[in-house]
Amino acid sequence: MTSEIVQFFSVQIALLAVVLILHTYIGLHIIRRTLIFSDLVLDQLAAFGALAGIGLGIEYGTVQSYLPSMIAVLFGALLLALIKPRSRAIPREAVIGIMYAMALVASLLLGDKLRGGEAYVTKTLAGSMLWVTWPLVSITAVVYILLLVFHFVFRRKFIELAENPEGFRKEKFWDFLLFTTQGIITVLIVPIAGVLLAYAFLMIPAAIAAMFTKKWAGAVIIGWTVGFVACLIGLCSSYFFNLPYGPSLVLSLGLFFVVSIIVRCFQAGNKLYG
Amino acid sequence: MFQIVQILGLPFLACIIMSSILGYLGIHVLKREVIFIDIALAQIAVIGSIAAHLLFEAPGDSPIAYTCSFGCVLLASAFYALVRSRIFQISLEAVIGISYAIAAAAALFLVGIAPGGHIHIQHILSGSLLWTGWKQIVTSLIVFSVIGCSFYLIRKPMAEISNNYQKNTIKDLKAVSWDFIFYVLLGVVITLSVQVGGIVVVFAYLIIPATISEIFARRLSMQLAIIWTAAITASLGGLLFAYKFDFSIGPSIALFLGCELILVSLVARFMQFNPKP
Repeated sequence: MTSEIVQFFSVQIALLAVVLILHTYIGLHIIRRTLIFSDLVLDQLAAFGALAGIGLGIEYGTVQSYLPSMIAVLFGALLLALIKPRSRAIPREAVIGIMYAMALVASLLLGDKLRGGEAYVTKTLAGSMLWVTWPLVSITAVVYILLLVFHFVFRRKFIELAENPEGFRKEKFWDFLLFTTQGIITVLIVPIAGVLLAYAFLMIPAAIAAMFTKKWAGAVIIGWTVGFVACLIGLCSSYFFNLPYGPSLVLSLGLFFVVSIIVRCFQAGNKLYG
Repeated sequence: MFQIVQILGLPFLACIIMSSILGYLGIHVLKREVIFIDIALAQIAVIGSIAAHLLFEAPGDSPIAYTCSFGCVLLASAFYALVRSRIFQISLEAVIGISYAIAAAAALFLVGIAPGGHIHIQHILSGSLLWTGWKQIVTSLIVFSVIGCSFYLIRKPMAEISNNYQKNTIKDLKAVSWDFIFYVLLGVVITLSVQVGGIVVVFAYLIIPATISEIFARRLSMQLAIIWTAAITASLGGLLFAYKFDFSIGPSIALFLGCELILVSLVARFMQFNPKP
C-alpha cells in the first residue's frame, strides 16, 4: 500500500515538474502578447480530435487517439498564425475567441452524434490522472525536453517576437512555430489533465510570474516554483480527501493567483494612487 | 410548416430578445478588449446556480438560484472593476481568462461531488433553447428592456470609457464605479441568457455580430443594424439546421454565426472594404 502511494506520487510529481517548465515559458509569451484564448483554441481542438477519434472507433486516451488530436491542433496552429484582423477596431484576441467558440461548437455537435457524447465532452474537460504511467511520463518528458532545447536555441527570436511583434520579420512563420509548440504540449497533456488543467498550467504560473518580473529567466523560475508548490498542494488534497483531480489543482493554482494579485496591489498601491 | 413554427417559434423569439441586447454589449466588449468577459461571467454565474442546488436543492430557474448567481456576478464585477487599475504587466483580459479557469474548475469541482455531473456540464455549454417557455421569454423581455433603457441613459459615459479603455489612465473612484455598473449589467444579461441558451450561443451572440459590424461600419446606428440582421439570420439558419439534422440548437446557431463571419470577412477582403469613421 505504502509503495503504491509512493509510486503514485513519484509519477505525478515527475510529470508536474517536467510539464511546468515549458508551460510557464510558453505561457509568458501568451500572457505578454495577450493571446489568452489561443490555448483554449488548441486545447479544444485537441479534445475535438480525440472525440473525432472516438467517432472513428479509436479508444479515448490511447496512443492512437493522439494522431487525430495532433492533426486538429496543427490545423489550429496554422489558423492562429495566419488569421490576423486588418482593422485595428477588431482585436486579435476577438478572432482567437471566435475560433475557440467554433472549436467548442464542433466538439458539441460531434458529441451530439456520439453515444454517451456528454460523458466524453466532460471527460475532455476534466481529464483523468489514472492514465498517468511511467511510459507516458517518459514520452512526455522526452518530447518536452526536445521542445525546451528548441526554444532555448531560438529564444532570442521568440522573445523578440513577443516584445516587438510589429517590426518582426517572418512573424507568421515564428508565430506558427510558437503555436505548434503550444499545440504539441496540448496534445500530450489534454488526455491526462483535461482542457481546464492544461489551460491553467499554461496561464496561471506565467501570469503570477509576469506580475513580479519583466525578465524571462526570472519569470520562468518564479512561475515554475509557485506552480509546482500549488500543484503539490492540489494533488495532496485531491488524493487524501478524494476530491476531483483536475479541478483541485486548478483551484489550488487559482488561490496562489489571487494571493499574488493581493500582494502586488499592496506592494505598488502608493505608486498608483499617490 | 405549422409544426416547425410551433416547435421553433419560442426559441426563435428567445434568440431575437437575447441577441438584441448581447449584440449591442458586444460593441463595448470589443472596444474594451475583454473578450473573455462573457465566458467568465457566465461560468461564475453557474457556480451560484450549482451552489444553490447543492445548498438549498433549488432548481436552476428558481429565484434562489438566480439570487445566488447574481451574488456571484456582483462579486466578480467588483473584482474586475477594482483590479483593472491595480494589475501590473498583465492585461485585464488575462485576469478575466484566469478567473474563467478558476470558476470552471470550481463548477467541475462542485458537480464532481454531485451525481449526473456530466449532463449538467453539457447543459451549461449547449443550453436548452428548444425548451424555452413563455415564463423565460417574459422575464428576459422585462429584464433586458430595463437594462437596455439603463444603457441608453448612460450611453455617453459608457461610450467614452469603452472608446478609451486601453489608454484610459483615470483610476479614480468614478471610473471604477462605471466599470462596476457595466460589468454588473452585462453579468445580469449573461446570467439570464445562459440559463436560456447556454454559454456557447451567448458568447457567439456577443462577439461575432459585433465583429462583423466592425468590418463594415463605425457609426453606432449602422453597426446595430448589421448586428441585428446578422444575429437574426444566423438564428433562423441555426434553428432550422438543428431541427432538420437533430443537433443542439445553441451550437448550431453559433456555427451559423461563425460561417457568416467567415463569409463577410472574405467578401470584405476581396472588395478591399474600408469603413469610414
